[in-house]
Parts: sequence; structure tokens; C-alpha cells
Amino acid sequence: MPTSALHVARTGLDAQDQRMRVIANNLANVSTTGFKRDRANFATLAYQDTRIAGQQSSGETTYANGLNLGTGVSVQSTTRIDTAGTMETTGNALDVGLDGGGFFQIQMPGGQLGYTRAGNFSRSPEGNLVTSQGYQVMPAIQLPANTTQITIGDDGTVSASVAGGESQQVGQIQVASFANPGGLQAGSDNFLYETAASGPAQLGIAGEDGRGHIKQGMLEGSNVSIVEELVDMIECQRAYEINSKMISSVDEMLKNANQTL
Amino acid sequence: MDRLIFTAASGMTAAMNRQRVIASNMSNSQTTGFRAETLQSTPMTLDGPQLEVRAMNQTQVKGADMKAGTIIQTGNGLDVALQGDTMLAVQTADGNEGYTRRGDLAISATGLLQNGDGLPVLGQGGPITVPVGAKITLSEDGSVMASDPSKPSEPPTEVDRLKLVNYAGTRIEKDLTGIFRVPNGGILPVDDTAKVAVGALEGSNVKPTEVMVEMVEAQRSFDMRTKLIATARELDEGGARLMQISPS
Repeated sequence: MPTSALHVARTGLDAQDQRMRVIANNLANVSTTGFKRDRANFATLAYQDTRIAGQQSSGETTYANGLNLGTGVSVQSTTRIDTAGTMETTGNALDVGLDGGGFFQIQMPGGQLGYTRAGNFSRSPEGNLVTSQGYQVMPAIQLPANTTQITIGDDGTVSASVAGGESQQVGQIQVASFANPGGLQAGSDNFLYETAASGPAQLGIAGEDGRGHIKQGMLEGSNVSIVEELVDMIECQRAYEINSKMISSVDEMLKNANQTL
Repeated sequence: MDRLIFTAASGMTAAMNRQRVIASNMSNSQTTGFRAETLQSTPMTLDGPQLEVRAMNQTQVKGADMKAGTIIQTGNGLDVALQGDTMLAVQTADGNEGYTRRGDLAISATGLLQNGDGLPVLGQGGPITVPVGAKITLSEDGSVMASDPSKPSEPPTEVDRLKLVNYAGTRIEKDLTGIFRVPNGGILPVDDTAKVAVGALEGSNVKPTEVMVEMVEAQRSFDMRTKLIATARELDEGGARLMQISPS
């Protein structure tokens, strides 16, 4: 007596559980600057060929249909949805939002380059433009010690004026773009890393070649929509429930067989 | 022993298989482009001079329910939802042509366009490879357009067109990986009028309420057959008692 309906339903529970984890992570990051939501992709598991169509059913005839039994489902991958987050005005001169595609390039400790959409920068004690973790924006931008006002243009040009002096250009924030941004590897602290799938970073001027404009005094929020996540959550919960119902249903069947026979 | 129990036992196996098919459909209620499997039970009778009162039950997965699934907007430019009796041609692991409704496309490291199952998507002349570094957009008729991000003023060029086929009137079957194929290695005709919805995905066509009802039905039919076997046992015991020579 095949009892694997139990196991098939279990794969459904596992997959829904993983999907719920993705949804939970999205919801947890609803206020994370520059966060992009993930979507869980489901895929069917292999089929079991109990009877092959075309097999001999008698001396002269063959089966018209096979008996291919599915073995369930699994979460195969997650896709980062790269839609824009809401732009919020913060008024802070060192907050920059990216209106359009692309990423800021950051020098990570250990020499690696990281990429982020979170432009909540600040000034390090040495005067460098750094992320909230203290990692330097690349190419490096040095702000004069006695800067009173900082202006960042649409194209990323950073100008600083010092007390009693003229405003002067001190550097330019550049924007990195990728052939396949979906292939970037997500890491902690809002950072993404280049992979073979994403292709190499192409650094350029903001607003050119499909890169986004830089908006001073603004931050890009997360693109997580609470309503969408809640709907997904309910859908996921219901799917989990019906899968668990299947387990109890098959269990009842077996119990019935055990008790009656 | 009555042969009734064999008939009932074949029915129990069938009900359990049915439950398994329902479980598989149910667990795939969130799988993009999934098509529910349908199971068919047929009575199997033995030809001969005897009275045909007992028919063994035989089940087979008849095929898939080809009803359309719900279209869900994703906003992702590489997601396509197939419409009507259209399927997307992909290259299966053994190098042949297979068909799927799963349209969550992505670009691999080597520039190969593949769907969510990791299978290369076929164009008019084989697997589609897009130029490295290009921005890829899809259009409603399945054209894959590439534009050079460093030359935004130039219009995008057509790399290839997705091979969209029509399955209306042709028998197709799922293989062991869940990909549809034409039995005995045929290919489906290209549909030039096929349209895809870009930025959307087609969900599974499994309806939770429907599978719940089917599940309860399968469970009850299983229970009924166990009851039949129990009844057969009682009949048997009754017969045996009658045959016994009373000690008194």
C-alpha cells in the first residue's frame, strides 16, 4: 500500500514554511533603506514513473496513459524584485537616493567591493564620505575639515563650501550598473556583491547610460509593500493549512484501515 | 475467501494513489505555471464465460488539467505569463524540445535565457543567448530586445523571439520532470499570433477548494472500501460458522 501521499503533502508544508520565511524577511525589512523584496519560486519535484505510457498491457496492446505520480514541491530559488522603493525626503545633506537603476560602490573591509542602494552616508573623522558602517564610498570623496555646506548634484558631483570661502567641487559619486542585477549576491547590512551571474560592475556617471539620478536629501525606502506581503502571507498560510489537512486525511485513511481490517 | 476483497483492495490502492495525486497537486498550488494532474479510474473486467460482476479498479494519470491559472502582476520585466493555448518551448535536459507554462525568465552567467526551472528557453533557431552587458526587455509578441546601456539613444535590437507554440488539438504529456512533451518525440507548431503578458506570471491552476473536496472524496471512498473488506470478513466468518459441526 503506497503511503507516500503523506510525504508528498510534507514537501508542501516544507515549501510553504520556507516561503513564509522569505515573507517574514521582507516584512522585517519593511523600513530598511534601499531593501528589495524577495520572491520565493516554487518548482515541482520529479515524477515517479509507476507505469510508462506505451508499455505492454497485454500481448497485443499497450497502455495509452502512464501512471506518473508527482512527488511534491520545493522552493527552488528566490528572485530579488528590483522595483523602486519610495523616495523619502530627509533633508539631510549627506543622504542620497538613487532615482533609477544602479548602485553605489562601497569599499568593504578586506578589499572587496560592495554595492548598495542605501545612500544614508555620513562623514568619517578623516573627512571621507562613508556608509553608516564607516565603509568608504568608491571612488573616495574627501570633504574639507571645516566644511559648512555640502551640495550633491543630480550627476553626483559633490561640492563643499568652507567657512568664509567659495564652494568647490571635491569629487563625484559614481553609480555602478550590472548586466544582470538579479544575479548579485545579497549580504548583510544592505550590501550586494558581484557574482559571475551578475557580470562585472560598470561604473559611470549618474543619469547616463540608464543609470539613475542622484537626489540629495532623499533616501530610497524599501520596496516592500505591507499589503502585498500580508496577502502573500495569508495565501501561504492557507496553502500550509490545506497541506496539513491532507496529512491528517491520509492519516485517517490509514487509521481506518488499521482499525477496520 | 471471497474474491470481493481483491476488488476492494484494488479500489483501496486506487484511492491511495488518487490521494497522492491530489497531494501532489495541492503542494503545487503556488508553483508558477503548474498544471494540475488528473487521475482516471477505469474498471477492469476479465473477459470470459463468467458473470461480469466484479471489476478491478485501475487508475492512471490521464493528463493534466489545462485550465488557465490566475495571472499575478509581478512588475518584473523578465516575467512572462502565457495566454490562451500557448506554451513556451524550452530545451530539456536530454536536449529535446519540451514545453512549459512557466515564464519566470532569467539570464544565466553565460548570457543564456532560461526559465525558473533552469532550462534554456528556445527562440526561432535554438536556445536564446543575449549579449553580455545588454539590458533585456521583452515585448508582447515574445520578442527579446537588447539595448546597450552605454548607448541609451539607440533603439533596442531584436535578439530573437521566444518560441511560442500552440498545443490546441495536439496530445501533450508531462514527462518525469513535469515538462510537457509530445509523445513519441513530435514538436508543436509555432504560433505567430501568440501574445504574452510581460511583467506578470501565471500561477498554478490548482484551486484549493476543489482539491479539498477531492481529498475528502478520496478519503471516504478509501474508507468505504475498507468497510467492504470488513464486511467480506464477516460474511466469510458467518459461512465458516455455518459449516462448523456443532459440538453439542
